[in-house]
This record gives sequence, structure tokens and C-alpha cells, in this order.
Amino acid sequence: MFKNYLKIAWRNLKVNRLFSAINVLGLSIGLAVTLILFIFIRHEQSFDTMYTNADNIQRVLLHTDGDNGQEIWATVPPSLGPTMMTDVANVEYAARILKNDFGGTASLRVLEQNFTEKDLFWVDAELLNIFDVTFIKGQAKGALDRPNTAVLSETSAKQYFGAIDPIGKTFTVDGKYELEVTGVYKDFPNNSTLDCNIMASGITTWFFKNPSWYNASFETYCLLKPNTDLASTELQLQEMLNKNMEKENQWYTFSLQPMKKVHLYSAGYDNAYANRIGDIKEVRNLSYLALLILLIASINYMNLTTARSQKRSKEVGISKTLGSSSGSLLFRFYMETGLVTLISLIIGVLLTFTALPIFNSVTGQELSTDSLLNVEFFISLFVLWLVVTLISGSYPALYLSQFKPSIVLKSSIVQSKGNVFIRKGLVVFQFAASVVLIVGVLMISKQMEFIRNQKLGFNAENVVAISINGLKGSEKKDALVSELKGLSNVSSVSLAQGFPGMEVSGRSLSRNEDDKEKLNIQTNVTDASVIDVLQLKLLAGRTLPSFKQEKDTLVEVVLNRKAIEYLGYSPEEAIGKKVHISVPNTIVGVVDDFNFASLHEPIGAYAFHNNTGEGKSFALVRYNAAGNSSTINQLETIFKAVAPNAAFNYSFLDNNLQNLYVRERRTAKVGIIFSVLAIFIACLGLFGLAAFVGEQRKKEIGIRKVLGDSIVGITQMLSKDFVKLVFIAMLIAFPIAYWLMDRWLSNFAFHIDMSYSVFVIAGISALVIALVTVSFQSVRSALSNPVKSLRSE
Amino acid sequence: MLLQLKNIFKWVQQGGQRVFLLKDINLEVEEGEFISIMGPSGSGKSTLLNVIGMLDTFDEGEYGFLSESVHTLKEKYRSNLYKEYIGFVFQSYHLLDDLTVEENLEMPLLYKKIKSSERKALVADMLDRFNIVGKKDLFPTQLSGGQQQLVGVARALIGKPKLILADEPTGNLNSQQSEEIMELFKKLNEEDGVTIIQVTHSEKNAEYGSRIINLLDGRKI
Repeated sequence: MFKNYLKIAWRNLKVNRLFSAINVLGLSIGLAVTLILFIFIRHEQSFDTMYTNADNIQRVLLHTDGDNGQEIWATVPPSLGPTMMTDVANVEYAARILKNDFGGTASLRVLEQNFTEKDLFWVDAELLNIFDVTFIKGQAKGALDRPNTAVLSETSAKQYFGAIDPIGKTFTVDGKYELEVTGVYKDFPNNSTLDCNIMASGITTWFFKNPSWYNASFETYCLLKPNTDLASTELQLQEMLNKNMEKENQWYTFSLQPMKKVHLYSAGYDNAYANRIGDIKEVRNLSYLALLILLIASINYMNLTTARSQKRSKEVGISKTLGSSSGSLLFRFYMETGLVTLISLIIGVLLTFTALPIFNSVTGQELSTDSLLNVEFFISLFVLWLVVTLISGSYPALYLSQFKPSIVLKSSIVQSKGNVFIRKGLVVFQFAASVVLIVGVLMISKQMEFIRNQKLGFNAENVVAISINGLKGSEKKDALVSELKGLSNVSSVSLAQGFPGMEVSGRSLSRNEDDKEKLNIQTNVTDASVIDVLQLKLLAGRTLPSFKQEKDTLVEVVLNRKAIEYLGYSPEEAIGKKVHISVPNTIVGVVDDFNFASLHEPIGAYAFHNNTGEGKSFALVRYNAAGNSSTINQLETIFKAVAPNAAFNYSFLDNNLQNLYVRERRTAKVGIIFSVLAIFIACLGLFGLAAFVGEQRKKEIGIRKVLGDSIVGITQMLSKDFVKLVFIAMLIAFPIAYWLMDRWLSNFAFHIDMSYSVFVIAGISALVIALVTVSFQSVRSALSNPVKSLRSE
Repeated sequence: MLLQLKNIFKWVQQGGQRVFLLKDINLEVEEGEFISIMGPSGSGKSTLLNVIGMLDTFDEGEYGFLSESVHTLKEKYRSNLYKEYIGFVFQSYHLLDDLTVEENLEMPLLYKKIKSSERKALVADMLDRFNIVGKKDLFPTQLSGGQQQLVGVARALIGKPKLILADEPTGNLNSQQSEEIMELFKKLNEEDGVTIIQVTHSEKNAEYGSRIINLLDGRKI
């Protein structure tokens, strides 16, 4: 019996090649997309689960009032770590990590050679007790206990020392610290949030040795005793804070974040050092998208199978008169579906293997199919097969098996209206989904375009930022500046702590020291020419003085409009006024607002000042547009001449700004690919349906032709119905798309207006796509010879 | 003369051999004739009718219709030609199930780009003449076979063709219905001067015509 069913199913597939091919193609693409996303989601969920202590590791978060309400920071003051280890009973270990230069790059000098290292972290030795770090050379115990020690990852050891055994060797960081290598560890796995290339002992630095309850720049992880109550621990943290800080000075509170949540649930948090930041929202959105694509492919199957029901009805009728029950027919149709899905699944898996590298390169992931070769994967494949079979087989099986033989076996049966209605409904659904996707993709691209072209209030083009951490002493820095200024291509040079597009130093602004109300402000140590380099608009006053005495404690500041508006001054009034930003400052100039952070955020307060408490890390060089690459070469030559022991590391300001939107661009790319696939699958279905309709209306087409209708007329007639469906789909899709995109755009403080042209374009493209798909079949039907279709039986 | 076929051949290739569907057919039809084509199954009756109706092509020979040489015409002109002058009646009626009787009748007029008011008048005329005014809002499936064929003939006539081609018009009808249709044809032929060519198996029906053409294996005998 079973074999017989299988045989019929197989023959059915073979006879209806076009329909089978469409079904299999659509389903296998849908399944491949689902599988790839499955791998992606599994990878995202697997983050940090491999650590033995994963369940007991917590990251400390800092909550504070920002300009836009509550902000959550992933970094906390340096006193917290050591204090909680001694004061909070359930904390076994706590470890601080600080990226070199508060998030910058490190200039290394190893074996007489210069390197730039992006992921050098200063850490507490306890970190090795909290996370499993496997040592290849040396041992974890005691590796970072002494100052001036460091451990390297396997890759960086190879990169910096080559074949030489690095143990006991020394290297220099930023020309300031000489570190001895005490161990080499296996690289962190690619699903670890923590990913240090070099871990250096934190107590080497001033900041670790002199911890404070300010300067919240330290990511802090702690290991709790098993089964510790988080809420009570958080209370203990508060008590600890109360002991160390006056209540009215407390501008933050703490909370704990389980390690396993760090990767996916930290997207909105500020200041995290990790490069690998996931977003549960992205994971969710992609899951919905995968589901949608799978659904569209399943709908194709349902549609094409029921469309052919008229042909199958005779078979059903005969089987039933021969004694087959509805149940066994049901089983038979399910089996047919199962066969199609099985073939599709096999092709889908093959597609997954070939397409994964493409997905990786587009999204910047490092997913591998290795994770697929396990029992769990095969079980999920089986479940997927079952689910898809049940979904896409349900309607055809239930519908077909209910045919009454007495009606079915009459020569001509009239198609039930309900069947047609459902089929049309499914097509409308597919196209509505496609239209939403098209609108989404267009809108996202438009917003990205807007971001690229947005007037930021300063000019980021043709400015290069050279890292000068490797330069020791102000003489060298000044020498570099004067050398760079000598280049004909260079119009101005400024030394600065940071530049727009990066977090610099967060402080708070008030008129007087005692004011309770304060405003968060980004502060940037710099010099007079910064206004020239960034081409900021000076509203009043002048720039910072070009010269400052070594011992001069007077701090001058240039504020932006937002800051003086908060203080309640007009630009002219502000000049000469005193303000308090950690220390008293005198306003010497006011510049217009500019977007120093991503366009997600509204413009906040910003200060350029000359308080020498913090160092300058970059030389910002504005050059003339011509001769881009040769300019960089010239800059490098000069840099090497001035600082032979430092690595030349530079970045373009405009590139840096674009990097703020990496996630959006990734979403856009993935969105485009998936949308194209979804639309393609929907078109496949439409193509099949049009073929079917052409076949079904063969007789009618014949009659119309004989009565004198033209080919154009018949094509129009056949396409008209589908066009109607596309219009209905648009009516449904537009409000949904509007709502979704409105929500997405509201993530940006600066965004485009919802533009109606996008909807028009999306509508027209959906229409054109549908028309092209359908008319191919319609023309074919219209061209067919009426004699054949009208031949009497 | 209405139409003239000269040495018409039509064949298909089967296993490297030519199988002739029509072989050296010569036929002249004057206006006002009523011709019956007869012959056993597969003798080429329908094929000949389709060739005359320009629905099918032929491989060799000449075909003149009202001083136009059909074999040299492009598809578009050919279809204009038959749209204008030829009406078809089929054995299985070939009415459109989704359209009412009235709409079925109106259809050929739509393709001739006739104005709406004029169409209405012509359709009303035809309904009247065939005594089916009461049925105008019914769908084909609600009619008996005879009534359906009546609509079929009415539809063929509505464009005022010079020639009606009927492929076994009574094949699906009982004898009484058959007779009605044949009487109708005869009346049309005699009173309105419409030329009729029908394919039939029935000697009795063939009698209605003025001339009988016998076919055997694609050849006129």
C-alpha cells in the first residue's frame, strides 16, 4: 500500500514537471534561508555559554540619568571591582577590564618593530579565575599578578613574535609601559563576548592603582557563589556605594547582568568594549523574516496543489468509489507533500552549505557548517520537515480528500468559490509581504543615504586622525604638528583627545560647582586649530588660545550651542562666563551644534577645552582633497621620522562616522537579500498559478480567439485578475509597512520623513514584477492554437 | 465567389514520414451555398473546416477568400478577416460559463469594437429573433443542450457573417433539438442568404444542404 502511494506520488511529481520544479525550488530556497538563520541564531544564543562558570558570572551595569532619560552603561568606576570583592559576601572574584587608552588602539614596539593593536586590555588578574582561559605556554595562575606583565593570545603571539618563544620577552605599549610576556593562551572562541588579543596586568597603570568612584570606564565582571540571589546582591552593592559616596553625589546606581545575556541584551548600553555585540531584536527580526519566507514557499505549494485539484479530483473520485477512505487519501496527499518537502530539504541543505560563506561575507559573521553535523541538527531537520509538510500539506490534503465522488466524477465540475477565494487570499498574502519588504528595503536605503549626506555641522571629509599615543612628551607631539603643517597638502593640524564619531570623555556641566542640576557633556582636550580642522561654525568669541603655559591652571573652553542654551546664555552673553565642568572653566567661544555622535541620538552638549588633566591621543589633519593616497604616504613618512618607535595608525573621520551604522547597514543588506528571495519565491508561485490559470481557461481562451479577440486582449484578460490581487495586497501592505517603518525610523533622532514616493515605487515594482511573471504565461496561453483547445472529445 | 481552395495539402511529420491530413483539396464555394462535409472519423473533415475558418494553417496550396489570398496574409489580417466574415458553431457549444446568455452574445461585438448602444440593440435583436429573451440573464449551465446550441448559433450570427462554419452542430443534441437547429440553418441560408458549411455524420442532416463533400483519408472523393 505504502509503496503504491509512494509510486503514485513520484509519478505525479514527474508528470507535472513545471509545478514540481516550482514547488521544490521555492521550498528549498525557503528552507535554506531558514537553516542559515537557524545557524546564525544558534550561534548568537551560544555566546558565552562555554564558560564553566557561565551561570554565575555577572557583569556590573551602571544606571544614570542622561539627556534622553535613563542610560545604562556597561562600564563602571574602577573602585567598584576591588571593593565588591572584599565587601560583598557572595562575590568570589571581581575583575576590571579597561581597553588601552579608554577604548583606543595601542602602539606596540616588539623586537624593534612597530605594530598597532586594537584589542589590548588592561585587566585584573582575577579575570583568569572567572573565565576559562586555556594556556598553551606558561600558566594562568599568577600570570598577571605582577605589574608589567602580559599574556598574549596564540594568534597575536604568532603575529608579534613569529617562531620565537615569547615567554620572558618584553614589548612596549604606547612608549610608556614595558611588559614582560608571561603566557600564551588559546584564542577566545568566536562566540565569546570577551575577546582580548593581549591581556596586560592592570596594576601596571595609574588608573588601576588609584581607583576612584568616578571615571566610569571599566567593564567589571564578577563571579558569584552558586545560587546567589541577584536582588540581594544588588542591594549590597547599593549599601557598599552608600558607604563610599555621599548620597547626594551618587549620580548612578548599579545592577547585575547575567553573562549569558550580555551578548544579546546589551544593544542599547553605552561604552561596552566588546566588538561582538549582538541584538536580540535583530535575531527576532531575522527569525520573523525566515518564517515569512518559509510561509511564502509553503503557500506556493498549497496554491499550486489546490489549483491542480480539478485534475486530481477524478483520481480522488475513482479511489473513493474503489473503497478508499478519506483518511487514507489524507495520508496519501500528506505523503506526496512529504516527498516534495524531503527533496526540497535535501536541496535546501546543499544550498545552505554553498550559501553560508556568502551570508558570512555579507554579515561579517564567522558561521561554520561544522555546527550542523550533530544529532541536534538532524533532529531539528526532521522537525522542520514535519512542520513544513504539515503546514503546506494541510490545505491540499484536507481539501482534496473531502471530494464527493458523485460530484467529482461528473464530466465537468464547477470550482467551488471558497477554494478560489482562499487561493486568492494566499496570493494576496504573499504579495502583501513582498510589498512590505520592498517598502522596508527602500526606506532603509533612503535613511542610510540620508545619513551619508546629512549636514553634520562640521566637515568630516578629508580629515585623517593619526594616533599619537606612541609619542612620548609634548615636544615630540609639537614637532609632529609643525612637520605636518609644513606639507603643502595639509591645510591645518590639531591635537585632540578625540574626534566626532567617537566617545571622548563624558563629564557633567553646570553653572556653579554646587548646582544640583547638571547636564552630561562630552569634553575633548584640544588646541586652537580644532575649529579650522573640523570646519566648525564659530557663533561668538574665539577659539581656544594657541598657547598655554605649562603650569597655567586656567581652563578655557569652547562650548556648543546646546551647552550654552542649557546654561541659559545667548552665544554673545556666554563669552567670558565661568562654568563648571569637573573644574572651573572660562567660556572663550561658542560653536554651532554639530553631530558628534550617531544620528540615532539628538545633539548633546560638547566642550573643547585645554585642561591638561587628560592627554591628547590624536593628530587631526585636514588635507586638500587632491592626492589622497600620496598624502597618507607623506604623513607616514613624517610620522616615522618624528617617532621611529611608534606604529603609524590612522583612520579617516568620514569612515569612522560611517562605522557608527555598521549594524544598520548589515540589517539593510540582509534585508535586501531576504526580500529579494521572498519576492522571488512569491513570483515562482505566481508564475505557476498563471500557468495553471492559462491551462484552466484554455477553452475560454480558444473561444475568445475564435470570436476574434487579439493576443493583447487575451493577455490583458488573464493578467487583469492578478493585477487586482496585487492592488488588494498593496492596500493591506501599505499601512503595515508604514507602521513598521515609522517605528524603525524613530530609532534615529535624525531621520527622513516617511516619503510617499517609496510607497509608489514599491507598489509599481510589485505590480511590474507580478505583471512580468504573469504575462509570460498569459502570452503563452494567448498564443496557443485555439483549434487544439476546442477540439471536441 | 466566396472562397476558393486550390491544391491544399496539410501534413504532420510522424517518425520521419509525412502523414497527410489533407491531400490535394480543391473547393470552390459560391455565396449562398449550404455545404455538408461528410466522411468517417479521421478523414479530415474538422481539419478542412478549420482551414477554411483560418483557425488552422496548411502546408501547401492556395486559399482565396473574397479576393484576399489567405495563405499570404499575416496572422493579424487573417484574424481580422475571419472576425469580419465568419461565424463558428461548435459541437460542444463552447459558451463561456462565467457569462450570461446576453453577455455571451455580446462578446464577438466587443472584439469588433462596436459601440455599446449599438451592441445592446444587436443583442436584443438576436434574443428576439431566437426567442430567448426570457433566458438572457441565465448562465449556460442553466440551459438545456438545445438551448445552448441556439445561443451558440445566435452568437455566430450576431456579427452578420457571410459564412457560418459548423462542426457537428447537432452532435450533442437529441433528434428533436437537432431538427430545430437544422431548420434554423436552412432558414438562415434561404432567407438571409448566409453561406453555411457544416461537418456532419448524419445523412439526414446532410440532406438540408445543397451540396455534399465526401472526404476519405484527407482526400475528396
